[in-house]
Amino acid sequence: MTHLAYLDAGSGSLIVQAVVGGVAGVAVAAKLYWRRLVSRFRRQPTDQG
Amino acid sequence: MTVPDTGVRVEPGSFRDPGNRVFHRGDEVLRGLDERSARDWRALSAADFFRNLTAAGHVVGTEELTPTPVDAPWAAVLRHDRIPFVSHPYEWSCAMLRDAALLHLDVLGAALDAGFTTKDGSAYNVQWRGARPVFIDVGSFEALRDGEPWAGYRQFCQTLLYPLLVQAHLGLDFQPFLRARIDGIEPDQMRRLFAGTRRFRAGVPTHVHLHGAMQARNSAASTSDVRAQLRDAGFSRELARGTVRGLAKLVRRLDHRPGDSHWSDYQRTCAYSVPDRQAKETFVDRAVAATAPGTVLDLGANDGRYARIAARHAAHVVAVEQDPAVVDALYRALRDEGEQRILPLVLDLADPSPGGGWRGVERAAFADRARADVVLALALVHHLAIGRNVPLPEVLDQLTAFTATGGALVVEFVHPEDPMARRLLANKPDGLFPDYRRDAFEALLARRGRVVARTELPSGTRTLYQVVVGG
Ligand SMILES: C[S@@+](CC[C@H](N)C(=O)[O-])C[C@H]1O[C@@H](n2cnc3c(N)ncnc32)[C@H](O)[C@@H]1O
Repeated sequence: MTHLAYLDAGSGSLIVQAVVGGVAGVAVAAKLYWRRLVSRFRRQPTDQG
Repeated sequence: MTVPDTGVRVEPGSFRDPGNRVFHRGDEVLRGLDERSARDWRALSAADFFRNLTAAGHVVGTEELTPTPVDAPWAAVLRHDRIPFVSHPYEWSCAMLRDAALLHLDVLGAALDAGFTTKDGSAYNVQWRGARPVFIDVGSFEALRDGEPWAGYRQFCQTLLYPLLVQAHLGLDFQPFLRARIDGIEPDQMRRLFAGTRRFRAGVPTHVHLHGAMQARNSAASTSDVRAQLRDAGFSRELARGTVRGLAKLVRRLDHRPGDSHWSDYQRTCAYSVPDRQAKETFVDRAVAATAPGTVLDLGANDGRYARIAARHAAHVVAVEQDPAVVDALYRALRDEGEQRILPLVLDLADPSPGGGWRGVERAAFADRARADVVLALALVHHLAIGRNVPLPEVLDQLTAFTATGGALVVEFVHPEDPMARRLLANKPDGLFPDYRRDAFEALLARRGRVVARTELPSGTRTLYQVVVGG
């Protein structure tokens, strides 16, 4: 359902906008990275099994 | 109304967004929209922010053709006001690029507040009406989806912000960077330019280094995954607005004035006596008035003295000058006067903009854009013929090629005895240019047009000609 842009917006270019958007944005970026980390740990047992 | 199948020409520079396409029909500039783009347009045209931006001249005037032409493969067709002369960002001075960036951010900011965004962020979204920037890519607006960052940020960095950083922080002219790469400067390249203590300059730690690092680290992640992750992490419209505000603040700080260059003080230090200048101004004024031109091309315009005289009688004037610092000063002066009919451009006539992008036609070459009813070449020919070794017949071939059929070339010949010509000749071996003589010049002119007026300046070392070309 995500709507794709004709232009490759660049994954890193999207994330960095959170950081340059101010303090609230840094929190968003931190949350994104935290969730990535957590989901990696959660996935690991099943990945290996 | 139907679109006749004759005389329709697709604009080669508009294919990147398949949702809409610009084409030309005679003198009209049209834009065809597919179903989705047509829905975006209908929402946009009803929005106050868009009407306000258009009314203020910040966005190009646009209307929809109704009923929609049936023989065109589009869900809707728009007609845009015509931009008098299409230019490319590498032909702008640094203050022009900065004002283009600020306009883009203003337009985006107003859009975000109203629930819209732009799909891209390119310097090519902006054109000029004299010294006023205009946002032209009406096909770029779409509804904002909450929780999404700006898709155009990377393009904005590469084609607007990075060139401005290069100019302001490093003092390097940005034009060659943009001319060489249609997509602008990559973050990766910028990181190399801004190593060492330069990494701490305004805007560089985040928009260059962090940006580059994030790109490298996320190169395997798809943009749709990252969009979803950002939305889940709470990215908001306020954050998007904050990013745009931050960018605008940064760009406003990058107000770099290029140092004075060789040509900056020309009008004060040049060799003209007052009677010479008066005679030249009168001649130019009369020649332009006699032609009542749509477009004038002033080549080697310097501080724009003659471009301004031409603008008394012309619809618009393109003032071409090789020296970026001189163009920047001229642009600032015109901007402060609110001038909307004189467009200053940075361009070396001995190395004019070639075609660029896909097949070399996505960005048209200067030679394919420059055609004017009156061409001014004042105190210029000696720079090309002696300074750059271009054979005199070729100089005249180029000048007449710029002139529309029946239009006028107003050209000054600086005699070899003139102090300025002597100074240029002194840098070259004796006798290198035996044909640089007034009689040879006049013979060449006579072969290319009809000399309708001629005057020798009071100093006796310069002659002006008004030549009707091919008429
Ligand atoms: C002698 S001044 C003449 C200025 C003005 N046209 C006049 O008649 O007073 C020559 C100007 O032409 C510019 N010029 C010289 N060679 C050029 C080139 N190859 N392309 C564009 N401009 C050039 C110089 O930078 C300078 O500003």
